[in-house]
Amino acid sequence: MSHHFIEFDDVFFSYPGGQEALQGVSFRITHGEKVALLGLNGSGKSTILLHTNGLLLPTRGTVNVGGIPVTRRTAPDVRRSVGMVFQNPDDQLFMPTVEEDVAFGPLNMGLDSAEVRRRVTDALHRVGAENLAKRAPFQLSGGQKKAVALATVLSMEPDIMVMDEPTAELDLRARRRVADIISRFSHSCLIATHDMDLAHELCPRAILVSDGRIVADGPVAEVIHIFTDLMKEK
Amino acid sequence: MLSVAPEALARLLWFAFYPIVMAPVAGEEYGRVFCRSLVALPFVVLIGIFNPFYQTEAVFTIGGVTVTRGWITFISIIVRTLLSVQSLLILVDSVGFTGLCRSLQRIGVPSVLTTQLMMVYRYMTVLLQESLDMTRARQARGYRGSNMSLNMWGTYCGQLFLRTVARSERIHRAMLARGFDGSIPVLKEDRIWKGKDTVAVILSIGVLALFKWGPLPTFFVFNF
Repeated sequence: MSHHFIEFDDVFFSYPGGQEALQGVSFRITHGEKVALLGLNGSGKSTILLHTNGLLLPTRGTVNVGGIPVTRRTAPDVRRSVGMVFQNPDDQLFMPTVEEDVAFGPLNMGLDSAEVRRRVTDALHRVGAENLAKRAPFQLSGGQKKAVALATVLSMEPDIMVMDEPTAELDLRARRRVADIISRFSHSCLIATHDMDLAHELCPRAILVSDGRIVADGPVAEVIHIFTDLMKEK
Repeated sequence: MLSVAPEALARLLWFAFYPIVMAPVAGEEYGRVFCRSLVALPFVVLIGIFNPFYQTEAVFTIGGVTVTRGWITFISIIVRTLLSVQSLLILVDSVGFTGLCRSLQRIGVPSVLTTQLMMVYRYMTVLLQESLDMTRARQARGYRGSNMSLNMWGTYCGQLFLRTVARSERIHRAMLARGFDGSIPVLKEDRIWKGKDTVAVILSIGVLALFKWGPLPTFFVFNF
């Protein structure tokens, strides 16, 4: 994949209950861009993220990642390029030890043991969790879990990273660490967040979602301003 | 041990040497292992309790009390279950639950089974935490004592089930996002099979074979 871009073209999506979560969402994120996805709870942010690596597929419209249209057939290939950090690290960390969890993605990519070990060590070092390698995920604190969840994605060396509320429920020190990790990630990044300071610090651009539609897309300061007005209205 | 005849209590008791010797080797106290194995006792008693009623053939008499084949097989079931559980506890204590699952996977146990075992082990604490949260939430707003009505239990279990399903869906998505294809790949350990491992395997098989077929003295004067 030579160009790490994400393109949503008039995407509609309905959950099985009939609830329309996305209604004609279109945007494009180019290589190296860091974009904040803003919106109230239930506005469709997480649904958009789940479309970026084929965990959900549009009922209408297309999602294109690096030139590959995301379909059921192409989803496994797309997931090699798009790393996703979920909101709740307890959902993401399912292996018995941190080391095995970080190795899960690279092993599924078919890499040899030596390369997997190199990536695990590197990813844990990047999030400052080398000392947690042999620990069980359920024994970790919230901040440690979040850091390890990031490492599980970094070990796959993704071209694009999408994150759902990366700083939710973190104390100031853990939040700072996560922000540093994201700022050092040099490829494209899409971050769904309620943390306006984080959005302002890391993302030059923001997209505002409301009721499954994009209502603003532009410089982060402007979009936050629009978002504030929108909240007052609601 | 399973292939020892139910009536051969004397031979069966020799197998007790295995947990008694292996517990200290694995860094455990046998007494502690024995106590933990007693958890299985109610279940095994339930399984064997009917034997004395159906197998009424007299085997021997002690001080005027007739011991039937049913009682012998009942005790035999208890002994072999406790010894099996003790051996399993020692194994899990020494290699760890995940180590055990990985080994099972390596010797060909279907990955769908080992994966589920690992998942249950991993998420037992999360499920417990969810149920604790729900209990606290109920207690925080409950003014009718600590007992829950049957109706409340139904709601409680239903909610726990729904939460579990929702979480399992989220976990499955997280797994798919990192290339899960139905089996959990295992990072190869650096551990190398050594000569002492071979010696331990041969010794274990030899001792167990001796207990099963060897010419061992019996603990009892009577033969069944």
